[in-house]
Amino acid sequence: MDIQLKRGLLDVCVLAAIKDEDSYGYRIIKDLKPYMELSESTLYTILKRLESARMLTVRTAEHDGRLRKYYRITDRGLRRIEEFREDWKQMMSVYRFITKEERADG
Amino acid sequence: MDKNRFLQELRISLAGLPADALEERLSFYSEMIDDRIEDGASEEDAVAATGSVEDVAGQILSEIPISELVKEKVRRERSGRGIWSTVLIILGSPVWLPLLAAVLAVLLSVYVAVLAVVLSIWAVALSLAVSAVLGIAAAALRLIRGQFAQAFVYLGVAAILAGLSMMLYPVCRALTNGVLSLTAKAGLGIRNMIIGREVK
Repeated sequence: MDIQLKRGLLDVCVLAAIKDEDSYGYRIIKDLKPYMELSESTLYTILKRLESARMLTVRTAEHDGRLRKYYRITDRGLRRIEEFREDWKQMMSVYRFITKEERADG
Repeated sequence: MDKNRFLQELRISLAGLPADALEERLSFYSEMIDDRIEDGASEEDAVAATGSVEDVAGQILSEIPISELVKEKVRRERSGRGIWSTVLIILGSPVWLPLLAAVLAVLLSVYVAVLAVVLSIWAVALSLAVSAVLGIAAAALRLIRGQFAQAFVYLGVAAILAGLSMMLYPVCRALTNGVLSLTAKAGLGIRNMIIGREVK
């Protein structure tokens, strides 16, 4: 897959994973597992990118006697998901245009 | 491998990272492993699922822009150099600045001299060629006037001059190319020196 496209897709996937409630690293990977295999280093990079883009905030909380980082989506992050849905609609119409002849043939 | 050893080895592999980024990475992996264990994995399995230290470190380093790693290296070496050497460099400037200027001036004058030699050889070749053309013109003039003997002498001289200039031409070209490539190399060398100094 095109690297830019994949990067954008991964960002939105992680945002979607924390959309309904705050989540933490391991749970994000687990939640995304049925849809895409995400390595921990990759997740770290994405979380960092989203944090510096202010699409999520991080807080450290104690859990079971140790520290765990929780990620919360921001309004900006929610907007990014919306944008993605719009982009995707547009992309699908382009996709239909590109494969029009093939489908007509088939 | 247990968690502590994994983190310790990862710390060594990622020694090039800035300290705060390193700690953040390590706590991220530590949390991951703890969460895996909490989810029912054994410590051994939890560490194994994270991947080998080499793979993890390799992936992390490949994702960090080279500029950042270089910056960190610069920062460390600068702090290692210490303030005293900087003071020395500044205090020593009355000594090394004129020396540096003198060396640069000598290099420049050598370069100009070499250029002048090449230019003068070109001038010789050009004047030979011009003389040859004039010789042919003079020979033609004598021929028209019916002075055949003189015409042949002029023609002969013109041929000799033309031959000499033709012989000189490849020499000139080779010299010019040599000087040009030398200039390019010197330019590159100077650039590398400056960049090298910045990186250091």
